[in-house]
Amino acid sequence: MSLPKRIIKETERLVAEPVPGINAVPHDDNLRYFDVTIHGPAQSPYEGGIFRLELFLPEDYPMTPPKIRFLTKIYHPNIDKLGRICLDVLKGNWSPALQIRTILLSIQALLGAPNPDDPLANDVAQRWKEDEPAAIQTARDWTRTHAMV
Amino acid sequence: MHQSPHDWAKGSTTHTANTDDVVMEKLLALGEYSGEIGSDGFYDARAIVRLTQCLVCSLPLQHPRTLPCGNSICLRCLPQFYPRQNISYPGLPSRQDGFQCPFPECQKEHSVADCTLDVTLSKVMEIFERELGSCQSEEMPVEVKEILDPELSDFESDGGECGERKWTVDGGRLVAIYTLIKRGELYYDTDVTCVSLASDHRDSAVLDREVLQTLKAKITSEVECQVCYGLFLDPITTYCGHTFCRKCLERVLDHSRDCPACRRRLHLPNVLPAQSSNKRLTELLVSLCSEALAHRATVVAIEEMAGSDDDDLTTPLFVCTASYPGMPTPLHIFEPRYRLMIRRVCENGTRRFGMLLPNRSGQLQGELGAAPFMQYGTMLQIEGANMYPDGRSDIWTVGVSRFRVKRWGIRDDYIVSDIERVEDIPILEEEALEALETSLRIQMSSQDLLPPWTRLSTQSLLQIGHNFVDQMQAISAPWLHENNILAFGQRPDDPAMFPYWLASVLPVAENEKYRLLVCTSVRERLKMVVGWIKKIESHRWFCSATCAIV
Ligand SMILES: [Zn+2]
Ligand SMILES: [Zn+2]
Ligand SMILES: [Zn+2]
Ligand SMILES: [Zn+2]
Repeated sequence: MSLPKRIIKETERLVAEPVPGINAVPHDDNLRYFDVTIHGPAQSPYEGGIFRLELFLPEDYPMTPPKIRFLTKIYHPNIDKLGRICLDVLKGNWSPALQIRTILLSIQALLGAPNPDDPLANDVAQRWKEDEPAAIQTARDWTRTHAMV
Repeated sequence: MHQSPHDWAKGSTTHTANTDDVVMEKLLALGEYSGEIGSDGFYDARAIVRLTQCLVCSLPLQHPRTLPCGNSICLRCLPQFYPRQNISYPGLPSRQDGFQCPFPECQKEHSVADCTLDVTLSKVMEIFERELGSCQSEEMPVEVKEILDPELSDFESDGGECGERKWTVDGGRLVAIYTLIKRGELYYDTDVTCVSLASDHRDSAVLDREVLQTLKAKITSEVECQVCYGLFLDPITTYCGHTFCRKCLERVLDHSRDCPACRRRLHLPNVLPAQSSNKRLTELLVSLCSEALAHRATVVAIEEMAGSDDDDLTTPLFVCTASYPGMPTPLHIFEPRYRLMIRRVCENGTRRFGMLLPNRSGQLQGELGAAPFMQYGTMLQIEGANMYPDGRSDIWTVGVSRFRVKRWGIRDDYIVSDIERVEDIPILEEEALEALETSLRIQMSSQDLLPPWTRLSTQSLLQIGHNFVDQMQAISAPWLHENNILAFGQRPDDPAMFPYWLASVLPVAENEKYRLLVCTSVRERLKMVVGWIKKIESHRWFCSATCAIV
């Protein structure tokens, strides 16, 4: 299967006009598979951390959303132990007019604004609601341990 | 010798092969020819600027609307609205107003709701205005002269009196003509000749070419499909004003009913097969992006050829029962051929297959002849599966869309096919059907043929369906048992879906179920449903049987 023009163009544009704090590079041997890093947003518990993610464009992309997962461990109410992300645009709210860039920006925004009312990691969300300062401190600790090298 | 600048500037619609050659020779001599003779700025300026003109007011399109017939028009040039008559479905307040299409080849009634701002065309018009509308240079004056009707000018050419209009405008040919159009001097059909009055004709040509190149580059980047990132190929503009390639929109609608750009529900997706291409955008693409467009068309053709070379019998078929869009079909898979089929569609990620009824009486199925299955079916999406160790499985599927089988064959014992999506008739036809049937006068002769309820509004037909279900619920009809409701969901309010739901829960004959599946009008489906209800009510067998159980 040759690579659709859309994916080629998206990749070119990601390189030509990079997003600050976000980096996405396709594998040489599989242009649908991207290594992604996202810098934790300033003034968030993830500040200073560099988080690794994997992104895969399925066969019927852009009709279906990219598959994305955190590889770096992260303490966040909307990201579970396996790194899966609870984000509406990655599920039912996906639209083919969205793109890798917009999705990564949404994930970066999610780091800046955790939403414990729509949790994926229930224990984390619980903690977040019960004792937010403690939860934020844990998120900071995890960032230091896992996302700073 | 053809040295007068006049020859260079013939209007596009009047040029002949000869003038083409002459111009080409001259350009070559000047070393200016870049291989795009047809769209050269100072040669074809009139044709290019015409692309901005409204067919009604001849001014540059302002707040352009693209109508369902594919023609575009300024907002202010839309004809007077009037309330549309005898329409209850979809009955949205926004669809109540209509107007008669001013384009001679259409002249149909359009709903105002189908004519929102054409986002792409509007941006293209802004580019024209930015590039041609505000030329600061006081140089490169051009004399623009109206070409009179050829017959007229033959008669009067020597007379040279009145009639002939001409203007002197700065800024090169493209800017000069655009300026005149904005001033309302040139009708859509008016042709002109342009003569550069600049001291150096060469400079004037260079300026026009530069302006044209900028215009082309800016427009090319604006006419890109948000789904495939390519130039629009056969652009379709949705009622919400967003444009996509026809093929891209078809694919999108396989997955979602929402507009990819604005997420507004494309509650009228059934217009797609019959939808006209956006004519003005198509003209713009052909005139200003011809090379890129040709390249794109070639690439697509090659891709499609590669696809069909492979094998276009890609859709596996399951011959078993009647399924409907939006309705679930649970299946127990035990036959080895279907086990293989289900495993394959799960592995290749499509998780889809077609469901068809068996052709029990050997009826001819269109071009397929006496196929072992009925020609129309429903595409099912696998939502969940329970695999047993011995290879059997239970799967839960939900209907996605209807289709028609075009060709079929056998692969590893199951049927594979080339299919075509089946959509309801366009909403305008649906509305026209309702308007026609509900406004028919009662005639003695037709009264015998058609019962009076066939003239009820579409919403009233739906109401009969609801009332019937309410009644049946009141007497606890067995087919409304909670298991059925659990499986098929609460009855939908959408008139398009209600008949599918009723046909799923109500025990009706297989051939009736098939008739419903083939039906492509919401109103016709509801009439079919009311027909069943009337039959049940008149026979009373249903009611009495139910009461006996209770
Ligand atoms: Zn107009
Ligand atoms: Zn029309
Ligand atoms: Zn497209
Ligand atoms: Zn839209």
